[in-house]
Amino acid sequence: MDSPHMTVPMDPLCKTIRTEILKISNKCGHGHIPTSFSIIEMMTAVYQTMKHDPKNPNWPDRDMFVLSKGHASLGFYCTLAGHGYFPFSDVYSFGAFDSTFGCHPDRTKVPGAEASTGSLGHGIGLAVGMALGARINGTSRQVYTLIGDGESNEGSVWEAAMVASHQQLANLTILYDNNNSQGRCLPIPNPGERFASFGCDVVEVNGHDLPELIKALKKPHNTVRVVVCNTVKGYGAHTLSDKVYEWHRRAPKADELDMLIGELNAGNF
Amino acid sequence: MRATFRNVVTQLADQDDKIVMVLGDISVYMFKDFWEKHPTRFYNMGILENTLISVSAGLSSQGLHPFAHTICPFITDRSVEQIKLDMCYNQFGGNIVTCGATFDYAWDGATHHAYTDLAIMRMLPGMEVLHLGSKAEVESMIRSQYNNGKPTYFRLSDHPHDLKTNLEFGKGTIFKNEGAPVTVMTAGPILGNVMEAVQDLNVNLVYFHTLKPIDRELIEQFKDTKILVVHDAYGLHEAITAEVPGLRTYYHGLPDAFCGWYGTVHDIRKRIGLDPAGIRAAAEAVLAGGAPAKPVLPASKSAA
Repeated sequence: MDSPHMTVPMDPLCKTIRTEILKISNKCGHGHIPTSFSIIEMMTAVYQTMKHDPKNPNWPDRDMFVLSKGHASLGFYCTLAGHGYFPFSDVYSFGAFDSTFGCHPDRTKVPGAEASTGSLGHGIGLAVGMALGARINGTSRQVYTLIGDGESNEGSVWEAAMVASHQQLANLTILYDNNNSQGRCLPIPNPGERFASFGCDVVEVNGHDLPELIKALKKPHNTVRVVVCNTVKGYGAHTLSDKVYEWHRRAPKADELDMLIGELNAGNF
Repeated sequence: MRATFRNVVTQLADQDDKIVMVLGDISVYMFKDFWEKHPTRFYNMGILENTLISVSAGLSSQGLHPFAHTICPFITDRSVEQIKLDMCYNQFGGNIVTCGATFDYAWDGATHHAYTDLAIMRMLPGMEVLHLGSKAEVESMIRSQYNNGKPTYFRLSDHPHDLKTNLEFGKGTIFKNEGAPVTVMTAGPILGNVMEAVQDLNVNLVYFHTLKPIDRELIEQFKDTKILVVHDAYGLHEAITAEVPGLRTYYHGLPDAFCGWYGTVHDIRKRIGLDPAGIRAAAEAVLAGGAPAKPVLPASKSAA
């Protein structure tokens, strides 16, 4: 497996999304930036693969995406903005009283958000129910959920994986953000082997290689598919990836914003 | 009550293809007929209560009407966050139906006793909470509430009463209104014991099967009397006092102790004063101007 560090050039849209995340966080004083940076290509791949209509978020025939690790909401909102759900400028109210865009997503407020998440280990179970329901209804709907490796300390993640496998939910894709967030407490070595042992169809990719991600998402599968995405927290900016704990939940000040955008633009990650 | 639940849901499912059963490895054989008739809408999902709820919420997101069903303490106590967030906060409604109410599984010990469920469910925004006491209530409430898009909690018991009650959702029943100075308020199957205890006493008797929304108008009719809440769980007393502030209430129900004996529900009720004699003594105490006596329980052994 290639190192996820810049083995491919960063997609221009993904760079724009990251830049907006930094600017919004600087303005609003909120944001889990490193965990958002690790999943931008993953979410972009989903939104460039699944059936959806940003001008009609409730289109009945759409596929569905659930961000299970809801604290990456700023990355999620900017990905939705980058795919036409609303302008980036709307997200500059991030975390403000009466804003549409809270620090965890609320499906009743955010166009395109299919579930309200935040407490870890919930979105994946919801996604299993969505996929099962879509199958019961006889629709072709595909359901995607993105979970974190830290989130996967929760037992409910593995309950849901067991059920998805037992029910052979071929319309469900779980994207696993393998960004080593739990190195300091409870790491999950060899996640691909673990999901495979649960009966899932596992593919492992560089989680920052957009074409490779899209190729993996388009690969046919007969049961629940898990895409283990090897990623780097803070991908694209050395300061973030080198000091992930310091930057776990921190907004950049003005000078830090310039520095981080400079690192992002340097393209030598 | 479980057989009534099975019969009603199976009948409804014949006409409504949005009904889906999600079982936690309980009542499986009982639902054999449903399973055979609607195999794509029947899931004995496993012993994983958190996921029973999350999956049910996900089914609801697809326009289906899930019935998550398993043993009371496990799905309510263990899965309260899934109910709170995946169903209530997400507004993915659905039905949670439990068996094993309070001391129904007396012989299994305190791990299987259930008494916090109604109080907890009542606190969750948007939740409907039903402490059903009779088979007729099971039939009526499931039919009226199962597909209204709200999260609804139905609590079943193996020991129903057979008294005739108002079968309208959200409405209570007046069994006795004698202009008495004391009103006994109760809910669920314990009504049988309460009726036996107080039928010849000078008290009013009011009953609820719906704890949320509770029948405020009915409570207010008796606000100038002393109110003795008799309940074999938590939740009713809290509902009454929260809905109508300023009442003079007394709670006669559960002690602040694990009822870690075995035997039957009747054995435990007797020990803690929820048998007819104990309830009568509580009502007489309030009538006499006092408060219900706390039951004297055997001292528990200290863990080594």
